[in-house]
Amino acid sequence: MHWLYLAIAVAFEILVAIAAGKAEGFKNRKWTGITLASGAAATFFLSKALLTFDVGVGYALWTSVAGVGITVLGALFFGQRLNVNKAIGILLVIGGVVGLQLSGSA
Amino acid sequence: MSNAAKSSTNAWLSLLLAGGFEIGYALAVGGSEGFTVLTWSLVAVVFFLLTLYALSLALRTIDVSIGYAVWAGIGAVGAAVLGPLFFDETLTPAKGIWLTVIIVGVVWLKLADRTKPEAVAGTQESGQLADRPSPAQV
Repeated sequence: MHWLYLAIAVAFEILVAIAAGKAEGFKNRKWTGITLASGAAATFFLSKALLTFDVGVGYALWTSVAGVGITVLGALFFGQRLNVNKAIGILLVIGGVVGLQLSGSA
Repeated sequence: MSNAAKSSTNAWLSLLLAGGFEIGYALAVGGSEGFTVLTWSLVAVVFFLLTLYALSLALRTIDVSIGYAVWAGIGAVGAAVLGPLFFDETLTPAKGIWLTVIIVGVVWLKLADRTKPEAVAGTQESGQLADRPSPAQV
């Protein structure tokens, strides 16, 4: 269940990134509202996930997987380029998450 | 100190503060026990607002990708190191190693956003993807 909570928290954190980008420095009210609501939802589900995950583990997973998601979605839908450095970052995060899981630390 | 240097120093102080607030946010969200503990929940909300405010101040001067990398790095390392002090947690060597890989990965990823001038200019002006709701961001 904690992985599901974490996944939902990650999804909302990615939505925060998309909405904040559209909020035009918080001048656009609708997207500003969506940004804040998503941030609140992300925080809530993160707290649910942290009932099981260690704070340091859950927080690192949350912020890093969201970062990967933002980069991948940016490349798929927002015309941002993937480059070698981004790919290295993504692979490090994925490798770290898998390692954490396999070592029984997550 | 020149004005530019002063504003740069202030921006970096804001960024370090934002990182510290982010650690507080992570710990408070953990301590809120799913937002059932009132005190920790309120502390989490306060830290959330503080980290956003300090980060947005810092990003007026500091390059967005560098700012995010430093901020995310401080938050994640701080939460991992301080978690065991506040809660019933242990930072085992295996956990420490894999967390280090993850945190290096996310910091690397944020820094990687910098190496493409045309896209950076494009996203910052038109604003499509940000990372946190900060006025200075994308």
